[in-house]
Amino acid sequence: MSWEIEHILTRSAARYLRITGWLLIPLYFLMVLALYGAFLYAPTEKVMGEVQRIFYFHVGAAWNAFLAFFGVFLGGLAYLITRKQWWDHLAAASAEIGVVFTTIVLTTGPIWAKPVWNTWWPWGDPRVMTTMVLWLIYIAYLILRSSLPEGEKKYRYCAVFGIIGFLDVPIVWFSIRWWRTIHPLVITGTGEQLEPEMIHALVVSVITFTVLYLSLLMLRMAMRLNSSVAEEVGQRLLEERVERV
Amino acid sequence: MNHITLIWIIAEKDLRIEYRSRQQAFLTTLFFALLILVIFIFAFDPGSRATRDASPGILWVALLFPGVIQLNRSFQTEIEEGTLCGMILSPVDRGVLFLGKLVANWIFLVIIDLLILLAFVIFFNFAFSSQLLWIVLLIVLASVGITGVGTIFAAMVSSIHTREVLLPILLFPILVPIILAALSGTQEILLREQMQSLNRSIQLLVGFDVIFLAAGFLLFEYVVGD
Repeated sequence: MSWEIEHILTRSAARYLRITGWLLIPLYFLMVLALYGAFLYAPTEKVMGEVQRIFYFHVGAAWNAFLAFFGVFLGGLAYLITRKQWWDHLAAASAEIGVVFTTIVLTTGPIWAKPVWNTWWPWGDPRVMTTMVLWLIYIAYLILRSSLPEGEKKYRYCAVFGIIGFLDVPIVWFSIRWWRTIHPLVITGTGEQLEPEMIHALVVSVITFTVLYLSLLMLRMAMRLNSSVAEEVGQRLLEERVERV
Repeated sequence: MNHITLIWIIAEKDLRIEYRSRQQAFLTTLFFALLILVIFIFAFDPGSRATRDASPGILWVALLFPGVIQLNRSFQTEIEEGTLCGMILSPVDRGVLFLGKLVANWIFLVIIDLLILLAFVIFFNFAFSSQLLWIVLLIVLASVGITGVGTIFAAMVSSIHTREVLLPILLFPILVPIILAALSGTQEILLREQMQSLNRSIQLLVGFDVIFLAAGFLLFEYVVGD
């Protein structure tokens, strides 16, 4: 890597940071709006009560997690085709964000499920199980990332795992759903109708979370670019000092 | 030479290496599986109804963990002896290479699994009836999917020093569909009189096998790309 390339990388990192800065402005207003929607605008659910309001954050976080895991898949696929490191940065940043938001989904879920379904963790529900497996797959992805030495091989391996992991998701969903049908049903249908106000609040919440994903993504991308440049520069300075000695 | 011959040459090489090393690793793996079964027997009362209901799960735990150990060895010797490079340099298609390693892994896995099944039937006091052949079929099918992803992941982790822990971490979440299908099929065979959804289990296993095999076949090229 020459100094010019590093210069370009640092410049693009600065650009991502600038984009993050710009995204924060709509994000701020959206978050206020989403909080207003979830806590004041949407009516209290008749049966479940106030605890139902966690739904707006739960669904938003789940949407984000799915978006992020699609980013891992897309980044991996594009990396294998183009061999540009940028795509690996995208996949890595997305995986980190995805794991965080899946954790939020898996924490807000039980808080709601305990009073409503009378169980923290309904193992028979395909959504719960698939989310759990998803969480495990992408934590495995991050562990794989951290165990491989930096380099082209790491990006390739992570891309392969990211692709297999994402393709696995619908299969997991399907197999758990099928597996459940021969088991006793723990949870019966929760398909109650949503009030229009609730739908409005949900839509705002999902949009807010999408913007949040984009800002976090830009932030992490900038960090990754900067840290790879810093590593390279450090290495170069070390070599120069060794040469001088 | 046609592809089938090439695949068999690679698989046969692995089998011969294992045979000439006096099957030491093979027997150790088998012993480990036996140990898992014994621990489960200590943990639960072997005669009780509850243990009988849980026995399909116990069987598949005892089949999966030794299987991962066996898969881990698949590329370990190649790395230690530096023979992977030679194989990559040989004028063989990467897909053929993958299938060769896969066939060897699959044969190992099925042999180990059948011996574990034998111990399981004896320990848990099941009858040696023709129904067991259905479990053999489930094992044979599940092993295809397990080695399909397992071979590619084993190649990926072979250069990492924490590979013994890493392989199950990567493999088990991905294999959830295969495990579920095999497990429910086994429950059906061992615990229920009429087997109405066994067909579904077998169909799903075949479907998952095809998906995992295709994914492994297409992506292996990127794992041994250098």
